[in-house]
Amino acid sequence: MPIEVRKLSHIYNEDTTLQMAALNEISTSIQDGEMLALIGETGSGKSTFVQHLNALLLPTSGELQIDDRIIRANEKATQLKSLRKKVGLVFQFPEYQLFEETILKDIAFGPKNFGVSEEEANQLAAKYIQVVGLDLSYLEKSPFECSGGEKRRIAIAGILAMDPDILVFDEPTAGLDPKGAKDMMELFRELNQKYHKTIILVSHDMEHVMNYCDRVIVLNKGKILKDCSVKEFFKESDLLYQLNIDPPSILKLKDALRAKGFQIDDDALTLESVAACIKKEVRS
Amino acid sequence: MKNFTLGRYMPIDSFMHTLDPRAKIVSMFLLMIAIFIPAGFVGYITIGLVIVLAIYASKLSLRFMWNALKPIYFMLTFLLIINILVVKSGDPLFTVFGFTIYTNAIMHTLYIAIRLIYMILITTLLTATTKPMDMTTGLEDLMVPLKKLHVPAHEIAMIISIALRFIPTLIEETQRIIKAQSSRGVDLQEGKLMEKIMAVLSLIVPLFVSAYQRAEDLANAMEARGYIPDRKRTRYKQLHIHFRDVCVLLLCAIVIGISIGIAIWL
Repeated sequence: MPIEVRKLSHIYNEDTTLQMAALNEISTSIQDGEMLALIGETGSGKSTFVQHLNALLLPTSGELQIDDRIIRANEKATQLKSLRKKVGLVFQFPEYQLFEETILKDIAFGPKNFGVSEEEANQLAAKYIQVVGLDLSYLEKSPFECSGGEKRRIAIAGILAMDPDILVFDEPTAGLDPKGAKDMMELFRELNQKYHKTIILVSHDMEHVMNYCDRVIVLNKGKILKDCSVKEFFKESDLLYQLNIDPPSILKLKDALRAKGFQIDDDALTLESVAACIKKEVRS
Repeated sequence: MKNFTLGRYMPIDSFMHTLDPRAKIVSMFLLMIAIFIPAGFVGYITIGLVIVLAIYASKLSLRFMWNALKPIYFMLTFLLIINILVVKSGDPLFTVFGFTIYTNAIMHTLYIAIRLIYMILITTLLTATTKPMDMTTGLEDLMVPLKKLHVPAHEIAMIISIALRFIPTLIEETQRIIKAQSSRGVDLQEGKLMEKIMAVLSLIVPLFVSAYQRAEDLANAMEARGYIPDRKRTRYKQLHIHFRDVCVLLLCAIVIGISIGIAIWL
């Protein structure tokens, strides 16, 4: 289910003193099965952009096509439910959307809204609570007695149970401990590779972007500043410094080695491959 | 929700914005009293002129004021219908479908409509030109004499300022939860009654949970910084009355004077 974005602009509070252009004629396309990272400073328009993907926000001008569904500016959008089923959006701190008495009911809430029968929804809940790494004993608990990290998993399971083809995560690892964040990223990789979902990830963590994603889009002041593969993006730290991004530590290590006269491959993005390069240099 | 104008502060640089909050609050009360003095249309025109002048001096757009009035249009229409059906005094104006509409019905509605519109315009003017923090500082200062009567002026001001402070936060929170639940297929516009109840529930529960969480965090943060309500405290921001504030207060006093004058002698 490819996404086509054509000259999409969004202006908040149009025609008031608080008017603010959040997106400025953005054009891009996202293919099936991509794992895309969306990065940029606070206020660069990332959140605004992802909210267009399931029509929570509608474009001020331009249009956006998801599969064969086109959302245009100045056109009353109807039947948004079918679109929202295809594109699952997980907000920042999704644990705040939990409300049911039991976790089972909360996860089943989404699918039931999209017309899945109660029994089937419960089966989905049982399936996805395990996908997010919690066991079945959780299902009968109240979501409010769980820890923060668990709540977030439950909220994500609630979106996964809707079985969307495209999953959008807005800073999913914010406020998680390093282990929790790593588990979360592993889960997204599994969803991408095993369940063939398109994953769009808003993130500030360059290590995650480098290690898990295939493509990077950099937004700045509502415009796309850079759109390239992860390999190309992390080739040189100069580009990152230009964009005011702190490079991942492996890049800093490579810079330091290069300064000392080592030849390191551009493709070497893991500790092991950098070590192999050093070994080769030392041997020869 | 998107065009929420009621009680919203608009950051503009204007004459109204530079006025002392106490002067504005007192002026508002004076004008409110003036509205309820039965001074007929002459009185209302006088107050109307003052309001027009104030809108002009506040540089607020007319569309903003129009939006602020939106919530009462329905009520006014309803009122007109009720009055037309109930009020049977005055001269008959014309007859539609066997119903005779009397002049007094129209007049009654017009009176109430003008009062309501004026009140909303005045309060909107106050809230749109006064920062919430200035407003509570002003209120606290105005309540100082009440401290003699053991009215906890500072506590009341603090409660008001916290409440005001959290209105935008809660609105933001509500919008966020609406979006999050819409993403889960909640449809707040359409759907059967049962679905609608469920939709509202899916908003209210998370909203309450986070509001309580916030209240607890705030209480802890205040206590951690040694907040004791009844302790004497100094203030960084001091309010000063200027010549322009006195002029505004005088103007409002004159309006009240005119209204009382008309009510008694005419």
